Amino acid sequence: MLSDLNIRLRSLFRRAKVEEELDDELRFHLEQQVEKYMQGGEAAQRRVRLEFGGVDQIKENCRDARGVSLLEALRQDVRYGLRMLRKSPAFTAVVVVTLSLGIGVNSAIFSLVDGIILRPLPYPQSNTIVHFGWMDKSLIPNLSVPEFQFCRDHSTSFAAIAGFQDGEEGELRQGASKRWVATAFVTDGFFETLGIELELGRPFGREFTRPGSGYAAVLTDSLWRNSFGADPNILGRQIVIDNQSYTVVGVLPPNFTFTQPADVFASLHLGNSLGDQGMNTDVIARLKPGVSLSRAQSEVRLLGSEFLAQAPSAQRQGSGVLHLDRYQDYLSSDYQTTLLMLLCAVGLLLLIACANIASLLLGRASSRQKEISIRLSLGASRARLLQQFLAEGLLLGVAGGAAGLAAAEASLHVFVSAIPWGLPATDRIALDWRVISFTTAVAIGASVAFGVASFFQTRKLDPNSALKGGRAVVGAGRGQSLILNGLVVGEVAFSLMLVLGAGLLIDSLYRLSQINLGFNPAHLVLMQTPFSPNMAEANPSPNIGGTKIWSFERQALARIRAIPGVQSAAVVSVAPLHGQGNIPVERDGHSQDSIGGTEYRSISSSYFSTMGIPLLRGRTFQDSDFTSSSRIAIINETLARDWWPNEDPIGDRLVIGEYQGHQYLQIAQPALQIIGVVADTKGMLLKQPPPPMVYVPASNGLMPNGSTDWVIRTSATAGIDSSLQKAITDIATDQRILDLEPMSQLVGGSVAEANFEALLMGIFGALALILTLVGVYGVLSFQIAQRTQEIGIRLALGATRRDVWFLIVGKAARMGTLGVLIGLLSAFALTRFMGSLLYEVRPTDPTIFASVAILVLVVALLAAYIPSRRAARVDAIVSLRYE
Amino acid sequence: MPDSYLDLPQGTLDLLILRTLSLGPQHGWAISERLQQISDDVLRIQQGSLYPALHRLERRGWIKARWGISDNNRRAKFYELSNNGKKQLQAETDAWEKLTAAVAQVLRAI
Repeated sequence: MLSDLNIRLRSLFRRAKVEEELDDELRFHLEQQVEKYMQGGEAAQRRVRLEFGGVDQIKENCRDARGVSLLEALRQDVRYGLRMLRKSPAFTAVVVVTLSLGIGVNSAIFSLVDGIILRPLPYPQSNTIVHFGWMDKSLIPNLSVPEFQFCRDHSTSFAAIAGFQDGEEGELRQGASKRWVATAFVTDGFFETLGIELELGRPFGREFTRPGSGYAAVLTDSLWRNSFGADPNILGRQIVIDNQSYTVVGVLPPNFTFTQPADVFASLHLGNSLGDQGMNTDVIARLKPGVSLSRAQSEVRLLGSEFLAQAPSAQRQGSGVLHLDRYQDYLSSDYQTTLLMLLCAVGLLLLIACANIASLLLGRASSRQKEISIRLSLGASRARLLQQFLAEGLLLGVAGGAAGLAAAEASLHVFVSAIPWGLPATDRIALDWRVISFTTAVAIGASVAFGVASFFQTRKLDPNSALKGGRAVVGAGRGQSLILNGLVVGEVAFSLMLVLGAGLLIDSLYRLSQINLGFNPAHLVLMQTPFSPNMAEANPSPNIGGTKIWSFERQALARIRAIPGVQSAAVVSVAPLHGQGNIPVERDGHSQDSIGGTEYRSISSSYFSTMGIPLLRGRTFQDSDFTSSSRIAIINETLARDWWPNEDPIGDRLVIGEYQGHQYLQIAQPALQIIGVVADTKGMLLKQPPPPMVYVPASNGLMPNGSTDWVIRTSATAGIDSSLQKAITDIATDQRILDLEPMSQLVGGSVAEANFEALLMGIFGALALILTLVGVYGVLSFQIAQRTQEIGIRLALGATRRDVWFLIVGKAARMGTLGVLIGLLSAFALTRFMGSLLYEVRPTDPTIFASVAILVLVVALLAAYIPSRRAARVDAIVSLRYE
Repeated sequence: MPDSYLDLPQGTLDLLILRTLSLGPQHGWAISERLQQISDDVLRIQQGSLYPALHRLERRGWIKARWGISDNNRRAKFYELSNNGKKQLQAETDAWEKLTAAVAQVLRAI
């Protein structure tokens, strides 16, 4: 209605005028009334005033009736709220910081989870892309080439299916210029499976995957632009990487990413080589439209058992059931547990923060009862008060939310840089609008909830008694005490769970750091040199060592030993924790009971002394072993125990490349005589027990790794890197040097994940403890303030200060113990999901459970200490006279 | 306050104000006086209810307000019925009469 709008607008914009008119109108009424009574000769003024009631209340009602209020009231409330918050800066700061912590870490972890798990892969209909594996005791995520071919040729559920293998780095020669490029090897169907349309050209066909055919290559957009000047006629051109020629058949669109970063996607030759026989091929496929995952799953399961039934024994690599996962789920499965745990942790932290804020606001509302009573008796309606509490909560929420976003931005940065997994595109993990709305929702939800909660404190308030009575009458009611105590108990329980999680992870990290590596990483430097193309040329076969490589290694070792500070140096085909080199091996004459896959290392004579690996029996290699043609090997303790449990292996013989009578190498190797047994060292993984291992002299060893690792024990630290590089390039100018780093860094890298988890959970646990400390302190302080009078009476009736102190500390102890018990029970149910993240620590480790319980209890008592001292100092006389 | 005062049923104050104003423009005090008089002192309108009601009726467009001069030469805010207000008064009076008649009938019948 027009009048309605008119009046509302007038109320809003001509407020002074309207207020003045209201004053005039009411004053007129009052005077009229006085005049009337004066004629009756009574004590008119007083009577009128009594009858008239509160002028301000009437005015307020008139304002409401005119519809002034909403906006105007909001403005008032915000101004009033700001004033109130400014007046108690400590309270405001604690609430805002608490809220920002809760919101900040939640947003950051949510972004992390979103970026890693929830965001779909960057391919069309990416949820129809599946990944193959064998599900036995655990998932074996790869297939052998024959298994892949069988699935490709017999399945009907897939629109496209493809395999790919680990790539390699090679040198791309472009006239005089050279650059290193990463090549991934993929089968036909790869781009169709991902649903990627090439920018130029077409995907290669199956003919390029047959051994003996040429190699086809698809270039990434950036390689095409940077190395080929975006040549539009690139299709059909030959490019040469490490002396191998590839025909360019296509160029990928910009922004294409794949889990295995590569510059060139080359056709994978599906042969019968050692690598293809092994479980080395990742297989992915795209479901046909309308085919469900479960239908494809049952088909693939059937295919798996058919394959196992019909394949020759040498090809039977898989075991268990052939299994499909959504590719996205498969890719994130490694981090799912960790991220889920972090989500739970920050969720708990948010709950603790909310409990804290709720108890702070409840306490504050109680201590403001007098103010509220005055406002009520001056004519404020309860609805109006609710509005004001909401406004205050909203202000806190907005401040906390803004601070939380800033905290999220900062902590996300830290978390992302600490991510231990080699994930593609982590730089793209950022706070986006979903996270921001999540944060806003949490802030507003919390503020509204707290506003309402603190309002209901005033619900039963009777203005008269509150004004008259002072503290004794207003004292915390039973219901309120119950809520506050419940909040404290909950807070203690939540933080116990968090600290417990952190404790388990930290203990696990400690145990990881105590692992016996089998060698001494101190003052040890690692360096890797991949075989350069001209060395590979000298190799009769990629698997057979060439004398050219050994002579290069020998010369370089001599130069390295000459560097000042270097005590000793050695080469090994792959250093511990730096990779693996698994080759079928059997005990000569025992083909049926031999284990098979054994870690294979070709080393120089000084390897054991350089690494500090003790010799247990027999002898180590001598320099003469590297010039003679005698076939000898050294084995580690595990292999000796596995194959010669009650015998002396020395003098017995091994055959490399053979397993259960099947020859895996292109050139059969003569049997090797065992001359010594050395102590175990770790293989690739720190958490795994040492694998069985066989060492052979580098002069006539195989080269399964395509590179050499150098280990150098040195007292020099500064300048050692450049001296090492010079020692290498003096002999081989073009030689590439990778991973030049202290061995301790490599060891550190293999505990990076445990570090990440322990660090984050440690931070969250510490935050939880601090929040709990503040929360318990706040609630107790408030309750003691409420009970000052009661304490005074107790003291007056003969209680000692000690009794009072015990009263408070006892209460804290009771609440703390209850919280700890609840927390322990919940943790008992929850921590077992952490099993896979722990190393040699049981998820219900009694020592950690007990020590964390004590820690949390101590924190609760610590929080009670200051308020309890304050309570004990109460002066009976003063407290009773109070008010 | 004497016990003989009656509490007004919800909504009736609006009707009474409209009815009072149908006799001509009045200021707030006069309205309350008039109501008290007519009802033989049974209805005594609290200022706390009267003024918010007047402002509410004004907002709804049933009455109009203007400043004028009172009998004793003072500036006062006078309210008068608008056209909408007249219709509203008619409607509310009819509704009231129907209601009271019905209530009376029930009371008699039982």
